[in-house]
Amino acid sequence: MNRVTNSMTSRTTLRDLNMSLGRLQERQADLSTGRVIRKVSDDPTAAVDAMGIRNELRRADQRSRSLNDAQGWLQTADTALVSGLDILTRVKELTVRASSTGVANPASQFAIATEIDGLRSELLAIANTKYLDRPIFNGTADGAAYDSVSGLYNGNSAVVQREVAPGTVMPVNMTGQQVFGTQGGPTSDLFAVLDRLQTAILASDSTAIAAEHSNLDTATKRLASAAAEIGTRAARIDNLRARADADQMGMSERLSRLEDADIAEALLNVKSSENAYNAALQAAARILPASLLDYLR
Amino acid sequence: MNISGLYSALSGMNAHKRILDVTAHNVANVNTPGYHRQRVTLEPAGVTSVSAVFAGRSQGAGGVNVASVDRVLDELAESRLLRETAMQAHTSLTSTTLDRIEQAFPEPSDIGIAAQLDDFWAGWSDLSTRPDDLSSRTQLLERSQTVIDALRRASVDLDALEESSRESVGRLATDINDIAGRIAELNRTIVGSATSANDLLDQRDLLVTKLAELSGAISRPADGGQIDVYIGGRIIVSGGITQSVREIAGVLQWSSDSAAVTAPASKAAALAETINDTVPRYRIALDAVANELVTSVNGLHFGGYDLTGATGRNFFAPAGVTAATISLSADVAGQPERLAAGEPDPGPVAPGRFDGERARAMAALAGAATGPDARYRSMVSTLGVEVRTAVRRNEIQGQLVQAAANRADSVGGVSIDEEMANMMSAQRGFEAAARVLTAIDEMMGVLIQRTGLVGR
Repeated sequence: MNRVTNSMTSRTTLRDLNMSLGRLQERQADLSTGRVIRKVSDDPTAAVDAMGIRNELRRADQRSRSLNDAQGWLQTADTALVSGLDILTRVKELTVRASSTGVANPASQFAIATEIDGLRSELLAIANTKYLDRPIFNGTADGAAYDSVSGLYNGNSAVVQREVAPGTVMPVNMTGQQVFGTQGGPTSDLFAVLDRLQTAILASDSTAIAAEHSNLDTATKRLASAAAEIGTRAARIDNLRARADADQMGMSERLSRLEDADIAEALLNVKSSENAYNAALQAAARILPASLLDYLR
Repeated sequence: MNISGLYSALSGMNAHKRILDVTAHNVANVNTPGYHRQRVTLEPAGVTSVSAVFAGRSQGAGGVNVASVDRVLDELAESRLLRETAMQAHTSLTSTTLDRIEQAFPEPSDIGIAAQLDDFWAGWSDLSTRPDDLSSRTQLLERSQTVIDALRRASVDLDALEESSRESVGRLATDINDIAGRIAELNRTIVGSATSANDLLDQRDLLVTKLAELSGAISRPADGGQIDVYIGGRIIVSGGITQSVREIAGVLQWSSDSAAVTAPASKAAALAETINDTVPRYRIALDAVANELVTSVNGLHFGGYDLTGATGRNFFAPAGVTAATISLSADVAGQPERLAAGEPDPGPVAPGRFDGERARAMAALAGAATGPDARYRSMVSTLGVEVRTAVRRNEIQGQLVQAAANRADSVGGVSIDEEMANMMSAQRGFEAAARVLTAIDEMMGVLIQRTGLVGR
């Protein structure tokens, strides 16, 4: 028969108590920190998964900032182009009036030319529209897109793109050339057309006015198609934004499922660990002091 | 009728008094570490063949002898306990060491290296949308410094762990020499002692256990009740003579010939493992993260264009490719306009000043399959598994030690109940012997008082 000595009893009891208390502490930490993975060794697989998700989540966060930025660019461009179209409509009206009033009225021709000059300045201001202090029709070049006097293009033809979905980029800009035409090109750019139009009106050159009128039509079409393009992109961004938000939510949820404690479950665990610990304490309190000594006189 | 019965009774009283003495000793030492209960072995005093008439006051003529007072222990259980205890010293230190390494990498969290790297890449992403904005450039430089600090900090933590392990080896050498000296001293005392050396034996066993924890030592019995103690097959205590060990550059070695001490599972072995394997392994892994970060970022940065239109600059100092030496290159430190965000244009047109494509490519490194983040995660994963295994192993070892200790205790431990029972039986034995003594005394009294009075 095995002997059971006092030191065995106390050693075993102490170890059991320690383990029970340790478990209680762990469960309490679950509850107080609200997290089940506090260090990697708690659950290496889940912890590394969580790190991966944190990384993805951070990138998703950046993408969402990117999307915001893209949205900003596109909205700014959209507003600019729509008001540009309004101005062009007015220019066309004036052109029609200039050709119909005929050559007889130099004063009115002059007034029309002056107004067109003013509208040209407005269009130049639109061409120099900035988003966050950066000209949006300038490609990636520094400085104003168009010289505010000569109307010469300073920018380049570079594409500005934003990451809008994992591994997918979308151009968010249109260069001045795409929107207002290429200088020296077959139909010339809008500002050169307006320059020539003014000269033709002042000179009452109806043939030239008619020629520039058709150039104006081309420019308007160009501007309108640019506006449509921007609008399409903006719609796509809205779509992607909804997707990105859903993705982000999904990722946060996965992360939370991995890392965070289920409060109800954690509470229950604490309670049951507490009960176990109490039971162990009571058992120890009964067993440890008992000995033959209690019954000897 | 002879007088020897008197002495028999007396020997009974003496023997039971001795049992009570030993019981008192056992009870007093119920909580003394390393103490083994002692037991009095009694034997009947031999009856002589000499005629009773001539029987003198000889102990041999009946009664009881205290043959010996012995320690009660199970050699097999004791040696198993010794091995398991040494092993626990090993597993416990290993798990503490790994726990300290794990603390150097607080993951998953918002403050670990992973989070700093995420911030760093996010900085590049911000730069890609605002290459013209000086504040996003400055912020990126600050975030890079944070990553650098985090990597260096982890590297310093590993260094500190190694350093403190080396210091521990120094203290270990002192302790081993001290304990070996005390064992040798006890050897000398025991071989020269005439009386029972039970308590000295317990002390010596306790010292051997301590030495086993430190160095995985084992003992073998030698002449005259002495023991020889071996570490890794080499003798450290031979009777009253000791060999000494010393620590040179964190390595435990024998003083006599500078050969390294090959300690079996124990604190010494765990420390050697920490210094030679664990810490170097994680330092290499951390350095690989730093190296990957420096090379991949520099690779892209070198070909990119900065705000001034210049190219061919490193982001990190190319010489610092370990976690301890990583730093910003002097080309960009404190000069945010020199961060290369621009992609070189393949066409005839130079890249615009506000091009952010290179920065976007840089930000995409965050998700690279073999990028610094992935490497770091794989390192942390390895660490997590290793810590978990070590903690697990230590728990199991704790249970094994407990089982072995209980096993040894079930033979050698003091049970108060048992001692109380022994005490009562000894008490009764003493009382009975005393009663016999009184009875014989009365009988003799009758003889002396009443006989030879015929005719008076």
